[in-house]
Amino acid sequence: MASERREGMDHPHHAWSPITTRGKLSWPNNAKIALCVIITLEHTEWEQLEGSYSADQAGGLGVRPFPDYPRFSHREYGHRVGIFRVLDTLERLGIKATVAMDTQTAEGYPFLVKHCQDRGCEIIAHGVSGSQMITGNMSVEEETVFIRSSRDKMQAATGNVPRGWHGTDYGESNRTPDLLRQAGFDYVTDWVNDEQPYPMRDGLTALPTMLEMDDLFTLSQRRVTIDRFAQSVTDAFDTMYRESDTSGRLLTMNLHPWLIGQPFRIGYLEEALGHIMGHDGVWAATGSEIVDWFNNNPPA
Amino acid sequence: MSLPPHRVDYSPIIERPPIKWPNGERVALWIAPNVEHYEYMPIKHGPRDPWPRTPYPDVQQYSYRDYGNRVGFWRMLEVLDQYKIRSCVSLNLAVLEHFPEIRDAMVERDWDYMTHGIYNTRYLYAYTEAEEREFYRDNIETVLKHTGKKLNGMLGPAISGTVRTPDLMAESGLTYHTDWMHDDQPVPINVESGKLISVPYSIELNDSPLFRVNYEADYFAEICKRQFDQLYKEGAESGRVMCIALHPFLIGQPNRIKYLDDILSHITGHDDVWMTTADDITEYYIKNYYDQSVENAQKYKV
Repeated sequence: MASERREGMDHPHHAWSPITTRGKLSWPNNAKIALCVIITLEHTEWEQLEGSYSADQAGGLGVRPFPDYPRFSHREYGHRVGIFRVLDTLERLGIKATVAMDTQTAEGYPFLVKHCQDRGCEIIAHGVSGSQMITGNMSVEEETVFIRSSRDKMQAATGNVPRGWHGTDYGESNRTPDLLRQAGFDYVTDWVNDEQPYPMRDGLTALPTMLEMDDLFTLSQRRVTIDRFAQSVTDAFDTMYRESDTSGRLLTMNLHPWLIGQPFRIGYLEEALGHIMGHDGVWAATGSEIVDWFNNNPPA
Repeated sequence: MSLPPHRVDYSPIIERPPIKWPNGERVALWIAPNVEHYEYMPIKHGPRDPWPRTPYPDVQQYSYRDYGNRVGFWRMLEVLDQYKIRSCVSLNLAVLEHFPEIRDAMVERDWDYMTHGIYNTRYLYAYTEAEEREFYRDNIETVLKHTGKKLNGMLGPAISGTVRTPDLMAESGLTYHTDWMHDDQPVPINVESGKLISVPYSIELNDSPLFRVNYEADYFAEICKRQFDQLYKEGAESGRVMCIALHPFLIGQPNRIKYLDDILSHITGHDDVWMTTADDITEYYIKNYYDQSVENAQKYKV
C-alpha cells in the first residue's frame, strides 16, 4: 500500500521522533556512550532451500554455480577459526558480546553455544540459517512458525528463551515487529535508523544498529578497505562522544567472524575498539542490559 | 551422496592438538602463482560463461590475461628468484603444452605442481562422473609427462567442482584440495576411499579478487604483512598455514611488482617460517596429523 501524505511515519511500528526533540538519555554511571557489539554467527547452507530468499550471498568469489565450495567454506571459517579471535579481542578489552545465532549453528555446533555462554555472551535469535531471510513473500502463518520455531530451538539449545532478535540480512516483512512481540521477544536489532534505543509498539524495543559499522555491509558489499573501516569506527565514536554531552548515545556494531576474524583484519578491530574502550564514560553492554536500562530509565 | 557439511567434521581451532612443523616453524608459508591460459574461442559448457562481457572472442580480457605469460610471469619470477622461493604453481596444464619456456622455467626451479585444470575456461560444474574421472587421469599423466612429477593436488579450474570432486580426486590418488577457505590449518575432507585434506589457499590474500575491483597493491602488501604477523604470533602455540595467491598478469604489472618484493622481504626477514609448498605440507600433515585430527573431531559430532 502506498504511503499517505500526512505527518508521521508511513508504517505503524514506531512513532516519528527526531533525536533533537527527546528528553535526556542517561546511561549507568553517567556514561556517554553505550557500546553494543553483536557477533553474527550464521550457518550458510550448501544449497539454497527451495522457496527461501537470501539478499546477500556474500563470501567466496561472489555467487558461483553450484557446488560453490569457496563461498560455502569461506563462511564456515567464522565457526572454525574467526569467532575465537573476535571473542579473544573483545575479552581483552572487557566487552561482553551479544551473539546473534541461527538455529542451524545452535543445533549443529553445541561447542560454540557453550563457548559463547562461558564467555558471558548474550545469545539472541537469528532465524534458521544465513541463507533464509524473512521477507514480505512469507505468509503470516509461515512467518509465525519461522519466528516461533527459531525461538523454541534456541531455548532448547541454550537453555534460555532468547530476548532479542536479529533477522538474517536484517530481513523483515511488514508484520515482523508485531510477530516478534507476540512471540515474546523484548527487542529487535533490524532497524538501523537511530543512535538511541526507542520504543516500538506493544512493548517491543528497537536496539538500532549502525549499518556502516556492520563489517558485511562495509567490507563485503561496499568493498571498503579494513583500515578505512577501522578509521570509520573511530571517527563515528569520536563524533558521538562529543555529541553525548547533551544525551547518551548508542553505538551498535554487527560483526561477522568469517570476515572480521580473518588474521589480517583482527588487529584493526582491536585498534578501533581499543580506541573506544580507552575513553572514560563508555558502557560496553549486551543488548538486554541496554534495553532493560533504557526501559527502566526512560529519557527525561 | 555425502554433501557438505558432511565432508568436513567440525573442529574448533582452539581445541586441536598443536601442530609442530618439521623444524618447529610457526608458519608454513606457500606461494601459489596461478599460471593460467584462457581459451581465445572457448566452448561454453555448463552454467558459467567464460567471457561474459562480449560475444567471443573478448580480446581485451583474453590478452589482459595473456600478458601474464608474455611479460608478467617473467617479472614475477625475478622477484621470486631473488628470495629463492620454490613455488607451488596453480597451473592450467595446457600451459605446459602451449608455452615451453614457461614449462622449462618452472621445471628448472623444481616447483611443485597443483593442477588448476587444463584451461581456466573449462569448468568442472557440468562434468559427468566418467568425464571427471578421465579429467584426473589426463591431469596426472600430463604433469608426469612434462615435469616428471607426481600430481598431488588441485585448485579446481577457476575454482569449479562437482559434488563428486573430493571422492574422485582421492580415488585418483590426489591428496589435497585447495577450494576450501574454511581454516588456517589443513583439514581432513571425508571421502569414499583414500585420504584427502584441504590445504589453506586464499581468496583474501589473492591479487585476482582484489585487483578486479578497487583495491591496489599497496593494500595487498599491507594485508599480507598483517596476515603473516597474526599467524606468526599464533603459530608459536600451534603451526599455521599461510598462502599468498598470485596471478602474473596482475602482480607482474610494472605498477605492482615492487609490492611483491615488499611482502617477501617482510616474511623472509623472520626466523621460524617454513617456506614450502602445498605438496610438502600435505605429505607432512597426512603422515603426522591426519589420524589424530580425524579422531579429535569425533567429539564435536552432533
